[in-house]
Amino acid sequence: MRRRPGIGGLQNAAAARDQYRLLGENVAKLRTDLMKEQLATFRSQLEDFARKHKNDIRKNPAFRAQFHEMCAKVGVDPLASNKGFWAELLGIGDFYYELGVQIIEVCLATRPHNGGLISLDDLCKLLGQRRKAVRETISEDDCLRAISKLKVLGSGFEVITVGKRKLVRSVPTELNKDHNEILELAQAQGFVTVDEVQRRLNWSSGRATDALETLLEEGLAMIDDGHRDGKRRYWFPCVSSVSSYAGADTL
Amino acid sequence: MAGNWLPSAQLTGSGRPVLQPGEVECSLLSSVDLFSEETPSFPNLKAGVVILTTHRLIWVQESTTSPTAIFIPLSAVTHIFSLKRSIKSMFASPRFRFQASLGEKGTKGVVVITLILRGKSDIDSFVEKFWEAWRKKAWEDGKKSGQEASGSGLGSGHGSGVDGGLAVRMPVVGVAGILRKEQEIWENTDKSLQEAFQDLNALMNKAKEMVTLAERMRAKLLSGSTSQATGTNDEENGTKEEMQELLLSVGIVSPVTKESAGALYHQQLSRQLADFAKIPLERAGGMINLIDIYCLFNRARGTELISPDDLLRACSLWEKFDVPVMLRTFDSGVMVIQSKSHSDFEVFTRIRSMVTTPDALRAGVTASDAAMTLGIAPAMAKEHLLAAEGKGLLCRDVSPDGFRFFVNLLQEVDADDIFLVKDYGIYQTWVKVISDAR
Repeated sequence: MRRRPGIGGLQNAAAARDQYRLLGENVAKLRTDLMKEQLATFRSQLEDFARKHKNDIRKNPAFRAQFHEMCAKVGVDPLASNKGFWAELLGIGDFYYELGVQIIEVCLATRPHNGGLISLDDLCKLLGQRRKAVRETISEDDCLRAISKLKVLGSGFEVITVGKRKLVRSVPTELNKDHNEILELAQAQGFVTVDEVQRRLNWSSGRATDALETLLEEGLAMIDDGHRDGKRRYWFPCVSSVSSYAGADTL
Repeated sequence: MAGNWLPSAQLTGSGRPVLQPGEVECSLLSSVDLFSEETPSFPNLKAGVVILTTHRLIWVQESTTSPTAIFIPLSAVTHIFSLKRSIKSMFASPRFRFQASLGEKGTKGVVVITLILRGKSDIDSFVEKFWEAWRKKAWEDGKKSGQEASGSGLGSGHGSGVDGGLAVRMPVVGVAGILRKEQEIWENTDKSLQEAFQDLNALMNKAKEMVTLAERMRAKLLSGSTSQATGTNDEENGTKEEMQELLLSVGIVSPVTKESAGALYHQQLSRQLADFAKIPLERAGGMINLIDIYCLFNRARGTELISPDDLLRACSLWEKFDVPVMLRTFDSGVMVIQSKSHSDFEVFTRIRSMVTTPDALRAGVTASDAAMTLGIAPAMAKEHLLAAEGKGLLCRDVSPDGFRFFVNLLQEVDADDIFLVKDYGIYQTWVKVISDAR
């Protein structure tokens, strides 16, 4: 390219650069749009296949592996059985098992936000989003049936009722780290209230109440309703700082 | 074991074969003998588990404490003899023969190998699967795609190799050339997508290509949406999240199924589960809810769901094998999977060191102290403390302060001379701490 001196030359070069950039951006945008379109086709086709040819896919181990890989790569859930007549009537077939796996997965995925406690409404909503392809809404009853199938695996997964709402708890008491946080919080004053826990730890009221109730059952907490503000206080006599005062007194 | 006739196969910690990339398990048989009638020097292998994969025939000796395994690559198989049908064969255990040239590039010569199936297994379907795997030559695919991947490492956009040919040879000059190339790539992708999804057979034939396509789309979409974060809307973020989430849950290429493993189903499932559980366990700190594992394991298996009952059975079989994990049931009915390295013994050691600190010697520890020190939930900590008490490691003290545990000094006292105050050990430390406090 011949180099052109002067301001005109510089301006020209800048204009050309701009043009190239514009074109490049357009192409890039077009490319992503096309990609998304193709991805959408790919996914819907895979979903269809997963549903229609389930048994054939399962018969051929080598193909099954490839099929799973495809599903995983483009983000298609291969579990997409329809409820069907027999599942509805007798609870047999894969439907409730698949739903069970998906329910646990939702619980696992949301655990960082809610500490393993999710309301049944939210659960149904999230499941619905996941099962967009299968045009069939998941009712609360379906969820409850699917959860009841998991009973064999111990009592670590249960539906509890707090107030009027139904909550699903996926973390058993033995593995619940929420309790540690409450204990830590209680160290300052020796007691906490539901409000305080909610505010300080940014939890939902269900989560706070459930955790405190469990600690009460475990014998780690004591309740005090007699305070002037009318709020129930949960005392933790076992928390170190308080008991060490007591210890110092007696010695 | 097999002399130098057959190479040995790698096994996982729980005695399942380590599969090569692209290798998939097809069938399993129990109590199979493997020997050669014509070649006496060939090892006589008795009563092992035979695993047929798309690449190899693996023979695993499970009766010994640490399982060992050898394999015959299917690529070495030169001929498969058809099953002999006679009156005699109806009463004897079914046997099945094939010819293979063994050693590096057939240096050991051609050997006719006989398999005797002593278990109650269906020989016909096994032979059929053997034929199928041998004919498909999946091991060649693996090599080819490996070369392809290294060859077109730069991956200029045409991944499927087949469609690239013409497009590359066209002179790619200037902006127009680049644009044309782009377009061709898209047209090709569209076409192959359409072809592949005509019916199931078409998809099977094009499976490999589709997998690479999926891979490419994923890579581009993930990198694309991070670089241009400004233009993303909710839906896009949704897809991205979905994709990343599911990535966590892929894993088992070759799930053990009732169809492939037959009578060995629960046993093999149990071993596979033990191998699988290791990583989530580590992430969860040595203990994980059985329900969580149920979900993760099933997710990793894709469409091959197992029922909760099967999972429980697989877990209960662990006692019989030498695996690094165990099932544990709490009094509350909660079931968890625990790694053995995280077992009671290790916890007791930590509890012991916790209760022998000067503070704890004076004031004892509570479940919540233990929870904080050990980094576990209070309910769990209480469980551990009670277990330690049961072992005689701790003593309890119930007072208005609550439930407190102290180190069990009674163990230190000499039964023959109970008034002797030793000037060493924990007893001595305790005496010192208490007298200091006063």
